[in-house]
Amino acid sequence: MKKLIIIPAYNEALNIERVVNNLIQNYSEYDYIIVNDGSTDHTAEICRKNKYNLLDLPINLGLTGAFQAGLKYAKRNGYDCAIQFDGDGQHRAEYIEPILKELQKGNNIVIGSRFVTEKKPHTMRMLGSRFISFAILLTTHKKISDPTSGMRMFDKKMINLFASNLNFSPEPDTVSYLIKCGAKVSEIQTSMDERIAGESYLTFVRSISYMFRVGISILLIQKFRKKEIIEDVEEVQ
Amino acid sequence: MLGSYRIVLLIVSVLTMWFTLHKIRQSKIKIEYSLFWIILSVMLVILSLFPQIASFVSEIIGFQSPVNFIFPFIIFLLLIKLFYNSLLLSMFEKKIEGLAQESSILEERVRKLEEEKRDDEKK
Repeated sequence: MKKLIIIPAYNEALNIERVVNNLIQNYSEYDYIIVNDGSTDHTAEICRKNKYNLLDLPINLGLTGAFQAGLKYAKRNGYDCAIQFDGDGQHRAEYIEPILKELQKGNNIVIGSRFVTEKKPHTMRMLGSRFISFAILLTTHKKISDPTSGMRMFDKKMINLFASNLNFSPEPDTVSYLIKCGAKVSEIQTSMDERIAGESYLTFVRSISYMFRVGISILLIQKFRKKEIIEDVEEVQ
Repeated sequence: MLGSYRIVLLIVSVLTMWFTLHKIRQSKIKIEYSLFWIILSVMLVILSLFPQIASFVSEIIGFQSPVNFIFPFIIFLLLIKLFYNSLLLSMFEKKIEGLAQESSILEERVRKLEEEKRDDEKK
């Protein structure tokens, strides 16, 4: 089974070496690819200097386009599964294996969630997360405890779908849409680190607008999309 | 229709048509996209010259005043045009994204091949 770690990186010069060296040294059973999303700092130079596996996007596409580039690479090279792993060091590599195990049980998507067994804190930041969870529960009748977690693993079928379609962003609204299409989505308890260096993309204003955009997308727009047919893996075999 | 209003309308529509043609001459706009604006400005010129057309049409449809007909009609036309532009924009974004992704994947392959070649030459 070919396994790929996709590392979208936008201005992660301060973090990328630490993150990638850890993967190379301790998790060599996985292949990895960094997707430099048109960074304005030295992210690309650092990757080239270290001879990392790198997709260097000539322009900034945003997380959706960057992650999609990684999935296209995965499809091209015949990978069986791919996981999004943030370049800022918030995701912890020791959780990749349990997530992979869960995927091999026949799931299409497995989310590394912070709140399967842990309780979700009552902070402002988690208010948005609660709202999105509620929207997904309302439209799909499935509980996703940590919809905004970026640590998601996709199987081959999902790789092919994401690689070739518009509007497949690695975001909660796509997850809700895919659940409705019949994709099997599961969650695994993980913990995440606080970012050590650099700045987070999500500021307060951005968080609010993100919540609205994704919330409205889940509640109103996704049900109008034409459904992709996702057959059951076990039945096919 | 008021005389001054007609004159303003005439000037504006002629200017619009001139501007569109000017941009075509400069090759700033593709013919396909300029068609809409040329037809629209010709329509406006005709309407400002012969406002009776507007009165006539709106009377047939059952509007009391031509303005009540012209306003919603033009707004509707522009809304359709705007939505169509959003469609085009989405398509272009998708194409650009695809190109950028493709170029990065190719660049990665070229870089790998060059490295391999360099390693082979060393041996």
